[in-house]
Amino acid sequence: MSSIKMFEKPLGMRDTFPVTYEKTEEVRQIGREFLRARGFDFIQTPSLEYFDTVGKASAIYDAALFKLVDSQGNTLVLRPDMTTPIARVATSKLLKEKIPLRLAYFANVFRAQQTEGGRPAEFGQMGIEIIGDESVFADAEVIITVIHLIQAFGIDSFKITIGHAGVLNCILKDYTESTEQADTLRTLLVERNYVGFEEAVESFNLPKTKSDALLQFISEATNFVTIQDIEKYVRKNDALEYMQQLMELIEVAQLSEYVALDFTLSSHMNYYTGMLFEVFATGSGFALGNGGRYDGLLHHFGCEAGATGFGIRVDRLLEVIPSKSSTVQSIGVIFEEALFAKALETANSYRQEGKQVTLQSRKGLVDEKAFAKHFDEVVYVSREDLAK
Amino acid sequence: MSHLTIAMPKGRIFEEAYQMLIEAGFNLPEEVEMSRKLMIEIPEEQIRFILAKPTDVPVYVEHGVADIGIAGKDTLLELRRNVHELLDLKISQCYIASAGLPNTQMNEIAPRIATKYPNIAMNYYKEIGEQVEIIELNGSIELAPMIGLADRIVDIVSTGRTLKENGLVEYERITDVSSRLIANPVSYRMKSARIQELVSRLKKIVS
Repeated sequence: MSSIKMFEKPLGMRDTFPVTYEKTEEVRQIGREFLRARGFDFIQTPSLEYFDTVGKASAIYDAALFKLVDSQGNTLVLRPDMTTPIARVATSKLLKEKIPLRLAYFANVFRAQQTEGGRPAEFGQMGIEIIGDESVFADAEVIITVIHLIQAFGIDSFKITIGHAGVLNCILKDYTESTEQADTLRTLLVERNYVGFEEAVESFNLPKTKSDALLQFISEATNFVTIQDIEKYVRKNDALEYMQQLMELIEVAQLSEYVALDFTLSSHMNYYTGMLFEVFATGSGFALGNGGRYDGLLHHFGCEAGATGFGIRVDRLLEVIPSKSSTVQSIGVIFEEALFAKALETANSYRQEGKQVTLQSRKGLVDEKAFAKHFDEVVYVSREDLAK
Repeated sequence: MSHLTIAMPKGRIFEEAYQMLIEAGFNLPEEVEMSRKLMIEIPEEQIRFILAKPTDVPVYVEHGVADIGIAGKDTLLELRRNVHELLDLKISQCYIASAGLPNTQMNEIAPRIATKYPNIAMNYYKEIGEQVEIIELNGSIELAPMIGLADRIVDIVSTGRTLKENGLVEYERITDVSSRLIANPVSYRMKSARIQELVSRLKKIVS
């Protein structure tokens, strides 16, 4: 370990410079107006939570949690996601007031880097949670909202891939001989290791009908266009019917073109009990966000209620959003000492026109030319200029 | 047709994989000038190859600067990058094994393992219930047991000749290794048709 230099920040921590700050604020504003117009109420939760409550319940791997100890010796975590704190506050307080809840958030979450940089350890997340509604309409609302939200940011090229934990479990159970085999295959799907999946299927020595079905499933499962394509692999069950209804609702909303089915989609957390999805957009190498139904998490907090939602990463959103130049005109007012009153007056009149005005004394400037370059227009308040 | 960036490992695997792509019917020039160029554009097929150190291919693919890539299973296991593993190309097949001096036991107190695959080695010994100490080396791993730096080495074995010439014997076979076609998760979705087509054409060549 080399000693820490004065300019260094902890691994993955980043400064937000003015350009990024403005872009983030714009995203916040668009998102806020959009979600409030759909009846979502914004809430905030503390940055620190107990490890035993939120830390353990969270879907984020233990090694990625920032842990600290409070003065009583309790282990605390910096919140690694927003879904878990919202589940905590909803089950303990809000659900008693009104059912169902529609909550939204825009907050920073913290995930420690294990190996290398290139990724932030603190980043903004924007999302919604619908808590207390078990119907398919809540899931449809989540998917429709995420699509419309992404469109509201001016992004055209994106895709939502949807799967269902129940459908996948049914397939894995029906075509294997033991729970261990099913679990092995599910782990390989979480890792997206399709080669490993095929190898595992062959190593199980399953009856030929079963192994053939699994191999065919894995080669087709990420390319299903319609829900009918999956029907030959699963017996009729609730999960399948649920997905049929969900796809119909998305069709009614005329958003089918943005949606693809992927029944290999699986999460390492077992509280994703139903529909789950991922959001991808051209322009970022990483998924923009994800979501799904997580009734199991509320159960963890001692409450039997349905919950569904999504979260989008703001840092990746910024990579994807088409950049546009600012429409506000910036003016630099450079004044001579004696004319301060005149300069104030000039600046205020421009501000009233809605322009962004910087007031700067000539005395405080070292390089006037370099300073002037930062503005669309520069106005000098000096004796000679006034004389003109 | 969307543009595709393919990260390829420099050297022998590049040539083999490139031949596979030609066999799969891609319109690529027979001879590529492999001088010091790191990028090769194939405008006819809307393909760009980037030539990377083999162990770096998963990094390029994970970050999405390459849509797909060809990487050894050893590298994938060691780095555990977030990429989709699509196809076993069955080229450059070999395996990872532990080896050491003949008829030796591992040190009981703190067995030492020399390897350039610290994660694979650590995971393997954890699985079999042995706590070991890993010594990371970058090459000539066979030296370690010979001069008493380690009890065992964990390394890639293709013919076993290097082990034999240095008087070492293989102890446990850990895992099989071959080159895999990998994809970035976002590209896999956004360029799905193109990648799927490439996979199915290559699949026919493999089997």
